[in-house]
Amino acid sequence: MTLGSEDDQARFRSVVLPHLADAYALARWLTGDRADAEDVVQEACLRAFRGIGGFAGVNSRAWVLTIVRHAAYTWLGKNRSSALVMVDDLEAVERQQASGGTPSQAAPETPEAALIAKTDAARLEAAIAELPVPFRETLVLRDVQGLDYREIAEVTKVPIGTVMSRLARARQRLVASIGTDKS
Amino acid sequence: MSPPSSPADPVLLVHAYLDGELDPAHALEIERQLAADPALAAEHKRIVALRSLIQEKLPREAPPANLLRRIEAAIGAPQAPTRFASLSSHPISSHPTWRALAASVLLALFLGSGSTWLILRPAPAPTSTTADLVLASHLRALMAPQPIDVASSDRHTVKPWFNGRIPEAPRVVDLTNDGFALVGGRIDVIGRVPVPTLVYRIRQHLISLTAVPASDAATLGTARRAIAGYNTLGWTDNGVAYWAVSDVAAPDLDAFAKAFRLGTPEP
Repeated sequence: MTLGSEDDQARFRSVVLPHLADAYALARWLTGDRADAEDVVQEACLRAFRGIGGFAGVNSRAWVLTIVRHAAYTWLGKNRSSALVMVDDLEAVERQQASGGTPSQAAPETPEAALIAKTDAARLEAAIAELPVPFRETLVLRDVQGLDYREIAEVTKVPIGTVMSRLARARQRLVASIGTDKS
Repeated sequence: MSPPSSPADPVLLVHAYLDGELDPAHALEIERQLAADPALAAEHKRIVALRSLIQEKLPREAPPANLLRRIEAAIGAPQAPTRFASLSSHPISSHPTWRALAASVLLALFLGSGSTWLILRPAPAPTSTTADLVLASHLRALMAPQPIDVASSDRHTVKPWFNGRIPEAPRVVDLTNDGFALVGGRIDVIGRVPVPTLVYRIRQHLISLTAVPASDAATLGTARRAIAGYNTLGWTDNGVAYWAVSDVAAPDLDAFAKAFRLGTPEP
């Protein structure tokens, strides 16, 4: 690999590095492991560095997170393909629910807000980690990293309507999971 | 944002409402439905509880210190003693052209508006004061299709919206009983720093309230200025400089500031 010009390195510093913490957090939530997250972020940064000339300069955070997500998926496919197998099934279920179901009757046994507030950090973290990847990444991008719907749609490459339904479902699953766990 | 064209699912819209993604008309519609539908209101409560749980309890890890070194080594960059803290600038600050554009639009509008007061006034000092910058943001916001980025009269929606966008969400106070309705919030850029601005309404007038981290808190007492027909009022509380700007009369702005300072931010 040829090293980039000093311009590229300066650009990389101003465009990519400010989002290193977000990049690492997303990679950790997607891989579920700190060391793996570091490898994913390093790989993503290399890709970002090579592609820095192609960055159009609008939303650097969404651009960086898109690359991190892509690197994480490549990594998951190579090292833990079972984590991704269910994505297709899930999409089918999602479509079915979207076309037929009445969403307001979902989650029959939902805990009260007061119970949710009492959940401890470890239980919350485990419940998020248990979410299927598409739900998990949507929830993390929104509720942990604070992206808006348009940015999430850009990063995860789905329409905004899908972002909305995934986010609602991810939150409902989390709430249900918190409510059923008595430990 | 408009909801998707398919039959609007009120549950999804409640989520979008809480995420500050609805335009004012849809936000009002959802607020009406929330008042009428207990099941929907329960969903609203659960989302609020879940989001504050995530905000409060989920550990936020900084990337390991050696990750930055690994990356710099990988791209062949010289090892610079950079700290993460110094890197966390807002993306907006790297786009000076946008600010220049906004400023020139503003200037063009002033010059084209046929007002003569601008020409008679002395040229603004090269370093604009915070009051000038806050007023410029207020005027810019009034010209935009809507003066806010997040529309909600619920402070539990407005405050979390700022999380993740700026380092510290502002104090949001419910002033409905004082006659000032919360309209929403937006992010302004004051001297290259993104800062939170709350927007309140009294009668037909909007008040922008911008919270600027005060580096020299002691220097600002209460600063009152009338600029170009607008009143600005600045004060400092707990290391934050607040700037209120509006076209309401000075006594109204004083009443607003007083109510905001006395108001309790928590329910």
